[in-house]
Amino acid sequence: MYRFALALLCAGACGAQSAQSPQDLLKEAIALQQAGKFDAAIRDYRQILDKYPDIPEIRSNLGAALAGEGHYTEAIVEYERALSSKPDPQVRLNLALAYYKTTRLTEAIKALEEVRKESPSNFQALTLLADCHLRLGHNKEVISLLDSAGQADSDSPALVYLLGTALVRDGQTARGQVLIDKILKNGDSAEARLLMGTTKYMVGDFSGALADLQKAVELNSSLPDLNAYYGLALLSTGDQADARKAFERELQLNSNNFDANLRMGVLLRQDEDNAKAAQYLQHALQIRPGDFGVRYQIAALELSEGQVAAAIRDLESILKEAPQFTEAHVSLATAYYREKRKADGDRERAVVAELNAARQAKEAAVKAR
Amino acid sequence: MKLAMASAALCAASAAVAQSNGHPNWRTTRDCAACHPAQSRPHPATSMAHALESASECAILRTHPVLSFNSGKYSYRIERKGDQSIYSVSDGDTTFSAPIAWAFGLGAAGQTYVFEKNGAAYQTRVSYYRAIDGLDLTMGATNLSPANMVDAAGQLMDHDEKVACFGCHATNATHAKELTLDKMTPGVQCERCHGPSENHLTGIKTGNAELAKMSRLKSLSAEQISNFCGQCHRTWEQIAASGKLGIVDIRFQPYRLTNSKCYDTDDARISCLACHDPHREVDRIDSHYDSKCQACHGGGKASAAVCKVAKQNCVGCHMPKLELPGSHNKFTDHQIRIVRANEVYPN
Repeated sequence: MYRFALALLCAGACGAQSAQSPQDLLKEAIALQQAGKFDAAIRDYRQILDKYPDIPEIRSNLGAALAGEGHYTEAIVEYERALSSKPDPQVRLNLALAYYKTTRLTEAIKALEEVRKESPSNFQALTLLADCHLRLGHNKEVISLLDSAGQADSDSPALVYLLGTALVRDGQTARGQVLIDKILKNGDSAEARLLMGTTKYMVGDFSGALADLQKAVELNSSLPDLNAYYGLALLSTGDQADARKAFERELQLNSNNFDANLRMGVLLRQDEDNAKAAQYLQHALQIRPGDFGVRYQIAALELSEGQVAAAIRDLESILKEAPQFTEAHVSLATAYYREKRKADGDRERAVVAELNAARQAKEAAVKAR
Repeated sequence: MKLAMASAALCAASAAVAQSNGHPNWRTTRDCAACHPAQSRPHPATSMAHALESASECAILRTHPVLSFNSGKYSYRIERKGDQSIYSVSDGDTTFSAPIAWAFGLGAAGQTYVFEKNGAAYQTRVSYYRAIDGLDLTMGATNLSPANMVDAAGQLMDHDEKVACFGCHATNATHAKELTLDKMTPGVQCERCHGPSENHLTGIKTGNAELAKMSRLKSLSAEQISNFCGQCHRTWEQIAASGKLGIVDIRFQPYRLTNSKCYDTDDARISCLACHDPHREVDRIDSHYDSKCQACHGGGKASAAVCKVAKQNCVGCHMPKLELPGSHNKFTDHQIRIVRANEVYPN
């Protein structure tokens, strides 16, 4: 890429008047970037691009330097411009990484799927794609992706872990257990304990989950998602104070953890710290756009803030997509009454009564079996 | 740490109440009685006014020198010693004991105790029940098998539980989700419902009508009152969303009332306050509520049917008293309805 860009510069630089030639400037920019001096590299790349704006390699280099500085949004713009001139799987992978870093996971998935079309054996693209789906709660997609990629029997710890987590979260605990055993063969590890804890949590064995997750924290407290699950287990066993600390730890390590953001929002809403709660909930929604749970919490927050019209709009929108969401009907009834819309409130209460009766009948039938 | 500090404050507050009835910042019904005698005078005799008592002042503990109960291998005893009531649990080998700090509930149905041990607050595993004039397992503890002496003695109360319990059973016990037991008056007193009265009193004294204004609960709709009382007696929203339905919700009157066919969010005739004056003890004579029912069912509301069976003792049939398992008490079901023979409890 460097040589190619250099050649283009040579072709375009004939007659150019500059204190430093474009070739030298590019050499300097690349050296600076390799030395981790992204700020200076960005300055040089921009200087070159001012004169030669159509060289995609330099634009993608600028994107990489911007990403190195943590300016992912600007990096995305540069990568996209570079790709519009010339498709390149590596640049597209970088673009996907930038989307991933900015929690634009849906766009990251689209980019990664393109990468996999262009370069089917790209292992990093596969791993990142599975991770994006997992973060969005698309467990079935992770399983299908890794199965179809022939990775079900992979020895890669990352893929075993991703597949195991998706299986456990999807309720396929028996198949998940096989992968847990595979991880355990290499000795007790935080990864194995996290998977075991997650499995127990999913089947409602909260004290068992807590024990495993506690052990996982002792083994490696910086494992992604671990503190969030530990927090969930603590919440389920009634230890709200320690749960909050666990969520805070998760967010320090990984500000884009969905569960930690959601639960922090809920806990802060309980404490009536609505401004902070809104920040966490909005971030959770950014991670999983459209998630009913987060949207419900945001609507409930609006209701408690007196933004009744906004709450009604959001709750009605949720219920169009999820008409069986009892809590949303409950809150919508309350919101209607506050707006003096008695008939609508009564209708929602009747729906709640029907849903609760149906749920109880179902529970009774299960008990009778 | 927070728990330990709050619990230490819990017992200190209990001692303060035992030693003194007059904190300079406490405004009791006596302060309000000068201008609001009709509301203030009957209030000290209500159950709500005694929703929380210090162990030293608790009438049940004072009049029962010894209360005892056995459950499995554990034997329980509450013994009066001077101004203290000592709660002890023994498994035959070891004995755990601690002084009771607080008694929750007047005991019309039952009374549960709170004690402190090693800086933490616990709810006793046994409670007093009026119907048996003695102890039995606390509701909610009936299915638990204690793993050790501490579990057998009681259930650890976390911060939120203490805030919820003291917040409802006492006045000025919490502020912004924190316990403020140093400012607490036991029981539901004027300020628990009407809010802080300091500005009101200053306004009255200085002739500042604006400052003297207090929120008018009377102006709230049936729905708003239901939610107001439901802060402690549980709202329809809380119970409906929790999914925890069954006979246990009979204690949650606002929820039950809201489920009634005749409940109307905008009609004051079905508001909690239409039947209950919170300044007076609840009236337990069925016929005293007839006029409340007849306000609608006597022809006052077109959509309200006139009863073909009787015009008296309406609540006796339409608000049945049902036994809540484990409570040794029958609660009036506030879901007003035509009760069918052998009906399944309607959620």
